[in-house]
Amino acid sequence: MKDTKNFTVNRRTLMLGATAGVAALAMPSVLRAQDKPTLVTSIRSLSNPYHAVWKTGAEAYAKWAGLEHVTLVSEGNSEKGIADIKAMLAKTGGNMVLNSDPNDTPDARPIVEACAKAGAYVVTQWNKPPDLHPKDFNPNYVSHIEFDGISSGKTIAEILFKTIGGKGGIVALGGLISTTAAIERKKGLDAALAANPDIKLLDFQVANWKSTEAFDLMGNLLTRFGDDIKGIWAANDDMGSGALEALRAENLAGKVPIVGVDGIKTAVDAVRTGEFACTVTSDPFWQGGMGLAIGYNAKIGKFDPTKEPPEHREFYGKAVLISHDNVEEYYKTNVDAKPEIDWNDLWGRVTGAIRT
Amino acid sequence: MSLIPGRIAALFGGRRWRSLAPLAVLIVLCVLIAIANPNFIEVRNLVRLANSAAVPLTLAMGLTFIILMGSIDLSVEGTLSVSAMVLVLLAVNDGNGNDYGWWAVLAAIVAGTAMGFVSGLVQTMLRIPSFMGTLGMWFIGLGLSVYMLGGSAIKLNDASIRDLALHRFLGLPVAVWVAFGAFLLAAIIQYHTKLGRHILAIGGDEDVAKLSGVNVVRVRITAFALAGFFFGIAGVLAAAQLGQSHAVIGDGRLFAAVTAVVVGGTALTGGEGGVVNTLIGVLIVTVLANGMILLGISPYIQQTVQGLMIIAAVALSLDRVRLRIVK
Repeated sequence: MKDTKNFTVNRRTLMLGATAGVAALAMPSVLRAQDKPTLVTSIRSLSNPYHAVWKTGAEAYAKWAGLEHVTLVSEGNSEKGIADIKAMLAKTGGNMVLNSDPNDTPDARPIVEACAKAGAYVVTQWNKPPDLHPKDFNPNYVSHIEFDGISSGKTIAEILFKTIGGKGGIVALGGLISTTAAIERKKGLDAALAANPDIKLLDFQVANWKSTEAFDLMGNLLTRFGDDIKGIWAANDDMGSGALEALRAENLAGKVPIVGVDGIKTAVDAVRTGEFACTVTSDPFWQGGMGLAIGYNAKIGKFDPTKEPPEHREFYGKAVLISHDNVEEYYKTNVDAKPEIDWNDLWGRVTGAIRT
Repeated sequence: MSLIPGRIAALFGGRRWRSLAPLAVLIVLCVLIAIANPNFIEVRNLVRLANSAAVPLTLAMGLTFIILMGSIDLSVEGTLSVSAMVLVLLAVNDGNGNDYGWWAVLAAIVAGTAMGFVSGLVQTMLRIPSFMGTLGMWFIGLGLSVYMLGGSAIKLNDASIRDLALHRFLGLPVAVWVAFGAFLLAAIIQYHTKLGRHILAIGGDEDVAKLSGVNVVRVRITAFALAGFFFGIAGVLAAAQLGQSHAVIGDGRLFAAVTAVVVGGTALTGGEGGVVNTLIGVLIVTVLANGMILLGISPYIQQTVQGLMIIAAVALSLDRVRLRIVK
């Protein structure tokens, strides 16, 4: 199995990375006093596939650029996330580039302020308060990257509608109610529904992003609507895969198409077998590497953040759609092999400035 | 204040009535939901109900013994994820080349039992309260799974193990029969073995139990290992149902299991209740979740309804009149 080999290599890299991270933290700052900045990735946890891939991308870029890389994990604890970043700033004397997925929206401000004060360069992704802008912290706060949840939710909904022939009932599984991603993706679904009056939303339920909850929920929805369910819209792949297993238990897998967001491996596999109609991914490998690349290039003066247009400072990245048409190609380049990304193409995936 | 519920309870015949309260709650729930949506009593739905109750029931069986002793086991999610991880990594999967078939199931259950055994040792030998000791075991288990699974989800591709969830015997998925078997085993242990009686005795009054010659240390360790055994089985069932294992496969299961045990009428203080109560508790929680979807209750208020139900069920079933202090 080709796949097998690939996985063990990944795990080893992960372990080595973690060891290197620990070792780097343990070393006194004198030893690491050098001209080259340290690359720092700050993410929520390593227990979800999404951030695990993020870290692989960050390591791939660090290797390509020949720089030292450290991963900080907040474990969903904002205080810890911020404190770890401050500790790294102190250790490197501000000679670092940070690519952060802040644990929570308000965290972005103290993170950016600490970096600007220490002279480090920072790129944030997904979460920031609406009144915090890169241009207010020139040149240190280089960019903020998000992915348009409305467009993702709408794209997968449209593909689902097309797959079931433009009419019939669907059920939708939403994410944790209070999160921006959940709200935006649902807005996208609503927009697609408004444009397709023959599609009926039978019920919208919340499975809190989890496959286990989606599994139980889907069984209950089958009782309520039975054969009226022609398709399933899930706000992320993990919930979609839980719903898929519930369908499988009733011999319905592959008969009721599912769509999701994230592009996790289970979902990509399911797109291959036709059990998922599509999934869309923000490409965490790209996010992990390119966030560092943008920060690093600003730091070494390849470009001047203050002279960049607004859509390079706060932008939506281009999401990658994985459907029946391109899944084999995607599998070959992203699952069987490590993705090849042109790290010099900093702005290639900019799709526009973030809505205010 | 505690006099008022006491008087109401006395009106209905006091304690005897109270011990039947969870069953009454379950029946009332079922009748109400069935009136509102007749689909509820369809055979297909009853099968689905049994299916979603399988994992919580197996978990709650283990937890019941611990709560009967007056202790708590917070390691539910950690132990479950370790057992699911061991199963998936040893059976046919998409992460490595192993193929140990049903030995993987055995290993997963042994892993769960071992986790419980260690929890027992930590509590008795290091004399750390079960709340803290098992909290530690929870995170040890979770960390172990994250590390071994490399942070990603690994698919379970062993068809015979997946048949636990997908194959049906007499119309019910095998997982349901396994859960039912776990219930019978737990009932036998509680009502027909010395261990079961000793666990109750310790929960009732540990000092008295000790003076009557119960080997408290041994019973405690055995009980924790027994709980780990049930969590291990639950881990196998969960992985078989979801067809994959990731570190967070246990997310939210601790809360569901404790809720089921308490709603069923087993007191958190120990010494009162048992596995039959827990069976009813699990059914109440599962029927409620199913019913709320059938009734089309908005997801935005489902949690509120759940919270109200928990308070109502406990209010009806626990003999709070005897509690002089409510903490």
